[in-house]
Amino acid sequence: MDFKEFKALVTARAEKAGLADYELYYTSQESTEVSMFNGELDSFTSSLTGGAAFRCIVDGHMGAAYTQELSEEAAESLVLRARENALTLEKEEEAFFAEGGAEYPDVKPVEYPVLGAEALIQAAQDACGALKTSHEKITDRCSAEALTEQTRTSLVNSHGADLSWTNSVDAVVLSAVVSDGKEDNDDYDIKVGVPASLDLKAIAKTTAARAADMLGAGVAPTAACPVIFSPKAMYSMITTFASAFSAENARKGLSALKGKEGEVIASELVTLLDDPFYPESPYPQKFDGEGSPTRRKELISRGVLNTLLYDLSAAHAAGKETTGNAFRQSYDSPVSIQPYTLVLAPGALSEEALLAKCGSGVWIDFLGGTHAGANPISGDFSLQSEGFLVEGGKKTRPVRSFTVSGNFFTLLKNITALSDKAELPRPGLPAVASPAVLVEGLTVSGS
Amino acid sequence: MITRELCAKVLEAAAATGADYAEIFAENSKNHSINMVSGKVDAISDGVVFGAAVRVYKGLRSVMATTVDVSEDGLLRCAKQAAQALGEGKAALDIVLRDRMFANIHPIRTVPSSVPNRDKVEILRTACRGAYAYDKRISQVTGSFLDVDQNILIASTEGIYASDRRVRTRIAVTALAEAKEGGTQTGSCSPGRRMGMEMFEKEVDAEAVGREAARQAVVMSEAGYCPAGVMPVAIGNGFGGVIFHEACGHSLEASSVAFGLSQFTGKLGQKIAGEKVTAYDDGTIPNAWGSLNFDDEGTPTRRSVLIENGVLKNYMIDKFNSRRMGMDPTGSSRRESFAYTPTSRMTNTFIGEGSDDNDAIIASIDNGLYAAAMGGGSVNPTTGEFNFAVREGYMVRKGKICEPVRGASLVGKGSDVILNIDMVGKNLLLAEGMCGASSGSIPTCVGQPMIRVSSITVGGR
Repeated sequence: MDFKEFKALVTARAEKAGLADYELYYTSQESTEVSMFNGELDSFTSSLTGGAAFRCIVDGHMGAAYTQELSEEAAESLVLRARENALTLEKEEEAFFAEGGAEYPDVKPVEYPVLGAEALIQAAQDACGALKTSHEKITDRCSAEALTEQTRTSLVNSHGADLSWTNSVDAVVLSAVVSDGKEDNDDYDIKVGVPASLDLKAIAKTTAARAADMLGAGVAPTAACPVIFSPKAMYSMITTFASAFSAENARKGLSALKGKEGEVIASELVTLLDDPFYPESPYPQKFDGEGSPTRRKELISRGVLNTLLYDLSAAHAAGKETTGNAFRQSYDSPVSIQPYTLVLAPGALSEEALLAKCGSGVWIDFLGGTHAGANPISGDFSLQSEGFLVEGGKKTRPVRSFTVSGNFFTLLKNITALSDKAELPRPGLPAVASPAVLVEGLTVSGS
Repeated sequence: MITRELCAKVLEAAAATGADYAEIFAENSKNHSINMVSGKVDAISDGVVFGAAVRVYKGLRSVMATTVDVSEDGLLRCAKQAAQALGEGKAALDIVLRDRMFANIHPIRTVPSSVPNRDKVEILRTACRGAYAYDKRISQVTGSFLDVDQNILIASTEGIYASDRRVRTRIAVTALAEAKEGGTQTGSCSPGRRMGMEMFEKEVDAEAVGREAARQAVVMSEAGYCPAGVMPVAIGNGFGGVIFHEACGHSLEASSVAFGLSQFTGKLGQKIAGEKVTAYDDGTIPNAWGSLNFDDEGTPTRRSVLIENGVLKNYMIDKFNSRRMGMDPTGSSRRESFAYTPTSRMTNTFIGEGSDDNDAIIASIDNGLYAAAMGGGSVNPTTGEFNFAVREGYMVRKGKICEPVRGASLVGKGSDVILNIDMVGKNLLLAEGMCGASSGSIPTCVGQPMIRVSSITVGGR
């Protein structure tokens, strides 16, 4: 059964159940992925997945249910379950659907071609070949993946919204394993783009070099010292605490930014933007998970918290407009409030000047265990780290097996400099584009 | 779900280009969760996972195709896609499917997916009330009631045609307490079982779940920051076992061992852990959170000794990686759903009981940390670098447990840390978690009695 047919069945069933406010959301994803280990085809996966989510408002409450089965029986069960769930809810905020006829941003999806099996196998083979000659310490345990995926999203509701959107992505993943005979280390990189247009040799070289640079790493000494977070480390840090910007979390007392709109929450060097159309992101978004138009907005302007992120319900409760940040990962995810690409505005210093300003401290490239070692509500963190010692204003020895501890909201205030170039280290939603950031007042715990 | 005849037809199409193994995994599951915030039902997630995956192997090459269209046409299209991707070749398998009945070692009395919302809400409300009632300093309580009813069917060219119904239930409460110096501290408790609603009669007291979350939050609200440094650490039983899960367990999974990407590759028969360490992966414990009747490739689960008195005895192996390793599969193949390629994963993985008394473990520490409750962690199996968070910690001085400390995490290299386990207690307890890796998020138990690690880096400030 296709979506059109299923939509008709669900609509008829909803009307029969006397529902006046409802919405059907559908995603369908086709993807193919090839993975190669040491130049040999190891696995090939092709998938057709997706499903439909139905939401309805009954007695002011929003009930929902989803299914991957598209059949007459499934349509009936979907509507009835969503209604029962609505009747169980006790949340006080009013629920809303987006009104049809809104003006949407003039944005077009990035169109990557759907790649066939041969092109993907070739790309993974080329990537493995590039890894093989990338570094003198490279091993024969490297792997590469090539993938292509296309995601179609549709949203229709009883208020006249009828939207659809397609995102496509081609990407190559390179995993380098290096060894100096005593220990192994690995690193990987994901590059979005048509594989033939990517400089795989250059990507393999930098990935392998990054892994090799960490061989022989010692442990950082325990100290309170300045820390530079690389763009990749900032990506981990900011995504971990991004939930604090949700107005819904603030209302529930689950964000330290509750009631702070208009107040100084960061160093005046900090300007943080949420951008649904960030040029380097392969996932531009025209409408959000409720069907509201998306837009760019400054969350923090020179240290002042400008706005939190809102969906329709949180905006209504606060007497504001939605910021278009109702987010759905897929048909099976609840609607939550989330940013798209958070962009930390670059500063004025070159990387060399930033290191010189740091003088003596630690450069952190990798943060681990963010799901456990960080408390998104209080902002406290104590995280496994890897990077380099900074001595005499230069990166010197590699270090690992240490932690960096502090509080995210204090960290924002203690940013003393930013490098002059923002990077987007990983594609995704949410993503973070950030320069390297110098922070004072953190504790490094190692030997 | 899918008849044996249709399965045979699909497997034949999948193996048409010379596969030496073909398999269908079909699923129809109900996933349900209710969230409560401030004593009110705040959100409900209610869904059906429905689809099938066809896999074929030829030597060390594996192909999987998945679909949400499980009609005969949809499945055959999927099988042909898999066959084509394998390359050219002639059918080499004779397909005969025989019904296989596995013993059900995890009986379920009341399947939660057949129970109305109100019954679950009532239990959740009791749990959240338990947290609020514990102490006035509790400022916020969130809770969730989660149940999964997974119906699966596996058919393979090894002749298996078998189905299973896997039911699991979990309740979780997180409590926030106002800290003295401002801000809030969190406590949580989230027991689960491969059981139905009867879990709340026999095994789990909902109110006590709320109280435990609140107790932890209140203790931590009074705690100062943990000091940083290298020190001996006593790790409490139950979820403390996450240390073994991260520092060692993941590195014993065939998904990294088979590719030479684990620090323990090629170490069978060698001493890799402290002599007092004997560790198991046991998917057969009745109604335990990480248990299964058979794994996601139709191999019965078992109790494997991974490490015996410090010596590495076995790995956790799925069918595909067993080929690369030249070893038998161990009933360890798992996937979140049909949409994920299964691979070797843990079930209930724990350090067995030792001979040390808890008091003796604490008394042996002159200046160190007692990690009474642990949070989650992660590891890079290639380097063995791991981390995990201490949820409830206390300083230990001169053999006595002293003031609580917060914000601690433990980091190190797995192969070093398990060698440094030098005391093992007697109070083995399992605890439930969700483990994430390439084949998705799956329920696993960690566990241990109280142990002592003679030296580990404690991250604090």
